[in-house]
Amino acid sequence: MGKILEVNNLHTSFFTHLGEVQAVRGSDFSMEEGDILGIVGESGSGKSVTALSVIGLIDEPGKIKEGDIIFDGKDLTELSYKELSDLRGNDISMIFQDPMTSLNPVFTIKNQMMEVIRRHTDMSKAEAKQHAIKMLEIVGIPEAEARISSYPHEFSGGMRQRVMIATALSCNPKLLIADEPSTALDVTIQAQILDLMLSLQKEIKTSIILITHDLGVIAEVCTSIIVMYGGMIMEKGTVDEIFYEASHPYTIGLHKSVPSMSRKSNERLVPIAGSPPDLLKPPAGCPFSPRCDHAMQICLELPAPMFDINKTHCSACWLLHEDAPKVEGIEKGEAKNG
Amino acid sequence: MSDINKNKFVFVSDREKEHDEARKSLTYWADAFRRLRKSKPAMFGLAGVILVVLFGLIGPLFTNVSYSDQENDHRNLAPRLAIYEIEEGVFVHLSGDYNMFIVPEDGNLQVLEVYEEEEELEGRSDVGEMLSPSEMRKQREEEAAKVENVNLIKYMYGEEFIELDYSFKLERDEKGHDFDFAITYKGNTVNYPAKTVANKLYPFGTDSLGRDLLTRVMFGARISLLVAAAATLVNFLIGVVYGAIAGYKGGRTDNIMMRIVDVINSVPLVLIIILLMVMFEAGLGTIILAIGLVYWVNMARLVRGQMLSLKEQEFVLAARALGVRSRKIITRHLIPNAMGPIIVSMTMMIPSAIFTESFLSFIGLGVSAPMASWGTLANNALSGLLTYPYQLMFPAGAIAITMLAFNFLGDGLRDALDPRLRKG
Amino acid sequence: MAKYFIKRFVVAIITILIIATLTFVMMHSIPGGPFTREKALPEAQIQILEEKYHLDDPLIKQYGDYMAGLFRLDLGPSFVKIGVEVNELIALGIPPTAKIGLFALILIVILGIPFGIISALKQNKPIDYIVMFMATLGVTIPSFVVATLIIFVFAGGVPALNWLPTFGLTSPLGYIGPVLALAGYSLSFVTRLTRSSMLEVLRQDYIRTARANGIREYKVMAKHAIKNALIPVITYIGPMIAAIMTGSFVIEKIFHIPGIGGYFIESITNRDYTVIMGITVFYAAFYIIMVLLVDVAYALVDPRIKFTKGKS
Repeated sequence: MGKILEVNNLHTSFFTHLGEVQAVRGSDFSMEEGDILGIVGESGSGKSVTALSVIGLIDEPGKIKEGDIIFDGKDLTELSYKELSDLRGNDISMIFQDPMTSLNPVFTIKNQMMEVIRRHTDMSKAEAKQHAIKMLEIVGIPEAEARISSYPHEFSGGMRQRVMIATALSCNPKLLIADEPSTALDVTIQAQILDLMLSLQKEIKTSIILITHDLGVIAEVCTSIIVMYGGMIMEKGTVDEIFYEASHPYTIGLHKSVPSMSRKSNERLVPIAGSPPDLLKPPAGCPFSPRCDHAMQICLELPAPMFDINKTHCSACWLLHEDAPKVEGIEKGEAKNG
Repeated sequence: MSDINKNKFVFVSDREKEHDEARKSLTYWADAFRRLRKSKPAMFGLAGVILVVLFGLIGPLFTNVSYSDQENDHRNLAPRLAIYEIEEGVFVHLSGDYNMFIVPEDGNLQVLEVYEEEEELEGRSDVGEMLSPSEMRKQREEEAAKVENVNLIKYMYGEEFIELDYSFKLERDEKGHDFDFAITYKGNTVNYPAKTVANKLYPFGTDSLGRDLLTRVMFGARISLLVAAAATLVNFLIGVVYGAIAGYKGGRTDNIMMRIVDVINSVPLVLIIILLMVMFEAGLGTIILAIGLVYWVNMARLVRGQMLSLKEQEFVLAARALGVRSRKIITRHLIPNAMGPIIVSMTMMIPSAIFTESFLSFIGLGVSAPMASWGTLANNALSGLLTYPYQLMFPAGAIAITMLAFNFLGDGLRDALDPRLRKG
Repeated sequence: MAKYFIKRFVVAIITILIIATLTFVMMHSIPGGPFTREKALPEAQIQILEEKYHLDDPLIKQYGDYMAGLFRLDLGPSFVKIGVEVNELIALGIPPTAKIGLFALILIVILGIPFGIISALKQNKPIDYIVMFMATLGVTIPSFVVATLIIFVFAGGVPALNWLPTFGLTSPLGYIGPVLALAGYSLSFVTRLTRSSMLEVLRQDYIRTARANGIREYKVMAKHAIKNALIPVITYIGPMIAAIMTGSFVIEKIFHIPGIGGYFIESITNRDYTVIMGITVFYAAFYIIMVLLVDVAYALVDPRIKFTKGKS
């Protein structure tokens, strides 16, 4: 299987009246066809901006400053808005966090789904309607034929997210970007939506980028993971590598701050002290250094390069440098661009 | 990579990492004030409001005439006077009422007496006055007769006469201009004003009764501000008390009280104010009462809404659990917490009260003469609009500036006090 | 929904009756009878007049008669214009008032909404600043000032721009002044409202969804954004009718238009109580019915509105 998406040195900034907000500062990653890539990070880490950059929906005053986004052999940053718009909803789809507000309240589900289908295919109205009903049935909406004429407010949150997924998948996209698709839903509904996405992924063979701040969600469904912080990628690896062999202090901190079943009952949750960096004036060095327990002089001065730990696992932390003092739990790696 | 100094690979102490400054915590009001100060339009508005207040309160102290003083000879004098040079250094001005003035350097106007021969002029009526059809016909015939005969007025200036020929010849001179008047003094005829000078005696000019417009506009400001302040206060008292009771009591009381508000609100409020003004004797007090008695419904709705959400909050429950009386809960806990939106609503109320007052005065339901608000002044100026536009421009400008200032300030306050209402 | 509107209709009728009653009470509580004039009429003549207009009946009977008349849509005679019925005055006044009101309404819709949309789409660009500057002036400067300015600038005060007649509706040009002055406030308000509502809508998630689904940009605007952005504008129609109505009082006075607003002002100056009463009731009824119609329109545009628990 080939690479479906390759993002090189992506820089995205928002030029506000206060100055340049550097939301993404040099992301590099790629994903294989059929992958489910998870991007984790707290709010403001740049994960959503990365996704929106891929799909070309960075609104004014935001701008992709540099970098390439190679999707299916094409560089998306070279395409015009119109060419991108032909891809969107067709080859790349995206679903968003809040299903309550993501559907237009004044049009019926039928209207909105058929609009997308007819935009990207040459189906007739009747065919498009049949296709929409079929999609709704696939995502598990009962009595789809009757309910398709309803307005969004007549659906529950979980049902609306199913409608969103049905719409997004209606043109068989090669890549589906899901930005916190289950965060706004009840816990039980969350599980249902994730299960649905997993089963659909197997069926339609779509690659998925799943953006979330919830490590639990990531562990459940993803094949590989990117950890972002302060607009930069901190660590990349497979699920097992990120969960059991985390080698970046931020990833380790994330694990410690989340409750888990395997944790011993008397073990305390450890919050990460401090707050995320101000992206108007990002720190010169590693963005996590002000909050890092193991920060070294170099961390404050220079962002760390990616150190390869193995073929799939790499981490941007100076502690992996050969000269760095040894810290328990963090294995040394090799600098990638040394 | 190898050129990196190995000394840099040492852990730093906690102190060096501390980037976060402790943020100053601001109170709600300090924060609001800071935001207000940052808004340029709001600061312009505030400056405008202060200016208007000073203009109305302190301005009249600097004029030596009252708003009702009439100077018969000084009717309809413009703020800028076109002056004719009849002799080296001697300037005269001719008013729209054919009064001629000597305009000395100090700007003090000195009216010239008309030589008695031309008595027909004395009967000339004011432009603004209403005439019966028969009178109008008569006047028109007279005027037609005048145009046929050469029309002359002789003014006495010292020992000599100044002759005014106003027969509207409209002849073109060598420069291609046409002219309305010919002023002859000692054999020299002048057709064109030498220049226009500011009217130092009446900076805003005078009205059709010879009253100083500056003073009248200043007193107009007083009336507008008084009406605005008083009506807003009445509106505040009724609206807050009504809304607080309805919101706090809830249930049936709330339902009945809000139905009453609905009925009042089901017709345009200005209509109700007009009816109240017709019912009571027109005057300053009535306007304040009428505006205050009607506009409170919006305030009541707002306060009720605030009460409904506030009363569910823990601090109110705590106060209730401690046995604090309803009245005290409303006045000590609920209203202070709703103060932001209340103030915003009050500032928005002020321009609409000013507008309503000038609207009422304009349609003839305002303060009684000789008192005049801006609306009255605008209304009085209407009939002579094309001849004496300045009589309208000053009061109209005053209304516009005041409304703009209060609106800008109100918008700024809304943004500062109630961020939820902020617009993009 | 039909049930809700029937209920609303009944409430509207009751409200009109309450307003008629209040107007009746207010007009009859004015000290001095309707024939108290500056030039006092002879006692005998007043008596004849009072008898003719049944003013010597007990108040409660007069009220009954008035309300009965109201049900027959008969608003009674004028006390000042002898021999003229209030109904006749209203019938005479409606055509000019309705014409300028309607033209103003059209102007508001065809200019205010597009200006607001353009302003929102070009946020913080020069065109936005210009439109917003004009609109801010428009909402703050009273209509009678605007009207007099129009007369001054375009009807004689500035010789080069002397394009319009000063008053009357005799020529088509005569409509321009009154319609502009009447529309000014609401036009500006609608522009501002459309702009802020459009900006709000453009930030909504469903616009992003539409874009993410590849919907063409013009369709995102024309279909998804505008329909949502117009919902708040519909709620303003009620206050707008009120603004046009009260605006017409002064506009008709300034431009000497023999409309219903002009008659209303005239009746106030003349203390012609039955005419004041009649026109007030007429205005109130008109306004209440219009608001009712707006609510129907609102329900048709916004599917989220449910009418089970009254207005929310």
